[in-house]
Amino acid sequence: MDISKQEKLHTDLLTLNMGPQHPATHGVLRVEIKTDSEIIAEATPHLGYLHRCKEKHSEFLDYRGVIPYTDRMDYLAAMNMEHGYCLAIEKMLGTEVPKRAEYIRVMMAEMQRIASHLMFFGTYAIDLGAFSPFLYAFQDREFILRIFEELSGARLLYNYIWIGGVWNDINDAQLKRIEDFLVELEENVKKYHNLVGENSIFIGRTANVGVVSKEMAYEYGATGPMLRGSGIDWDLRKKRPYSIYEEFDFNTVVGEGIKGQVGDCWDRYHVRVMEIFESIKIIRQCLEGIEEGPIMGKVPKVLKVPKGEIYMRTECPRGELGYHIVSDGTKNPYRVKVKSSCFTHVSMLPEMAPGQMIADFVASIGSIDIVLGEVDR
Amino acid sequence: MHNEVVEFLNAEVSGCNAVANIAEVGDSSITVDPTFIKQVCSALKSSDKFKMNVLQVVSGVDYPEENIIEVNYIVASFIENTELIIKVRLPRGDENNLPKVESVCDVWKAANFLERETYDMLGVVFENHPDHRRILCPDDWEGYPLRKDYVVQEKYMDMVVNPPEKINKDDIEFFAKMRVEHEDPTQVSGSWVDDHAWIDQDLANKAKDRVAQVKAAKKAKADAAKATEEKGE
Repeated sequence: MDISKQEKLHTDLLTLNMGPQHPATHGVLRVEIKTDSEIIAEATPHLGYLHRCKEKHSEFLDYRGVIPYTDRMDYLAAMNMEHGYCLAIEKMLGTEVPKRAEYIRVMMAEMQRIASHLMFFGTYAIDLGAFSPFLYAFQDREFILRIFEELSGARLLYNYIWIGGVWNDINDAQLKRIEDFLVELEENVKKYHNLVGENSIFIGRTANVGVVSKEMAYEYGATGPMLRGSGIDWDLRKKRPYSIYEEFDFNTVVGEGIKGQVGDCWDRYHVRVMEIFESIKIIRQCLEGIEEGPIMGKVPKVLKVPKGEIYMRTECPRGELGYHIVSDGTKNPYRVKVKSSCFTHVSMLPEMAPGQMIADFVASIGSIDIVLGEVDR
Repeated sequence: MHNEVVEFLNAEVSGCNAVANIAEVGDSSITVDPTFIKQVCSALKSSDKFKMNVLQVVSGVDYPEENIIEVNYIVASFIENTELIIKVRLPRGDENNLPKVESVCDVWKAANFLERETYDMLGVVFENHPDHRRILCPDDWEGYPLRKDYVVQEKYMDMVVNPPEKINKDDIEFFAKMRVEHEDPTQVSGSWVDDHAWIDQDLANKAKDRVAQVKAAKKAKADAAKATEEKGE
């Protein structure tokens, strides 16, 4: 509904700061919006409140020392951050990672994806005014964090995936527990999706809101659920398989505009929730295929990466994560540039916002699923 | 693939001097003349063969020895499933004369934020950029942090950056003490350097001497073992 045309009275634009402390911005994002009553005329995101100089720090650390810092970028998907970094360095070194370690890595990455999407599910419902889904999502997320805690000793920032393998082995009892949990999770997520995704208020708030067209998604370099939500079949795990993803059988979920237009907030929500089921599929195949063996490959004690550069992309819960690493042959990286998917997604806000109501804009920001730690680094 | 792109670029954009840098380790790249970067990018985007429809990153690298800042445009095609690194090498310049290059915002809108970040971090000016401001640092920040010769400013808006009372001395002294007390100090690996002026100098020297002693003793032992082995043979 285009309210601005019905309104005949002319009003002045009002400048309003959303954030940095605003529950709907998922962190410390400040969006300066100019509003014409409830309608947004212009939005300018201001970043940098969580800038911790990660790229500069990396230049003073050795290659292994960078891994804990990568955790702190996207703190809701720390395993995926480590995974991408380690893959990049291993590709430069030519290290072969043992099969068991690869299985554990993929399993951890997918569990992290589930945890991250559950977090999205909960916080997005809060954005739109429903509180209880948040508690449901956290119940299931808790199990995943417990498993991570047993394996790595930490609940959020793991430093678990190392260059050449993983730090700690997983035992059969834990594998069994994961298997049991997946059965429970599958039922739960179906239930949650019926509860929230099919709810008519939720559909009313998200369908046809914040539409991102195919062209716009390409133009802004959107990736991950943001791109798939716009109806583009693109998943790095399928298109450019890294690690051992080519062995697994799973589907790419693409937004189809079931409740509204292709590329609206509901589609992005749908893509993320359905991806949980795909991740469950992958973990099940991991549990079947995992074999005994070492968990650490042969890596020199003092890591010196040969001179050169690499750009490694991996599929994270929020989109593609890229590491552009330049090495000068010493034991410290010369430059570590991180391509963060959220950073590019935030740059779409000025184009998404005009014409939206403020409450719809909150829904749009939520559907991007930003983590400011990754945006600001 | 790189050679094909070079051929295409040299034919399409005259004067761009595209050169392929084929790497043995890691990724290969293509260097082009900085003045033609926009034409190169739009040629790659609109070409039927390469279809580079997505700009992934703009990443700057500083090389003070060569007096050069390198800007890497990493572009990808989500249609052809390829990716490509395009480099431009700019003279490093100084405070008043920052390196300049044409903005590619008209080609990909994604370039807006990415170029702002490169300006913020490395001080590369992108000409004809629609919104040329700092992005991660505050607007009144001095210097460009990711340059190799960057020195952290002492004060920012009357606040002291790194005040001495906020530095975690205990942690650093703890590692120095460990180096004195641990039975094998070479195993102690604190990530911090312990030669700061404010740390207890006696302790630091003690720790340093002990590490040197143990290292020398270990080496002597290894040498002796090697010598006996050789004699035995």
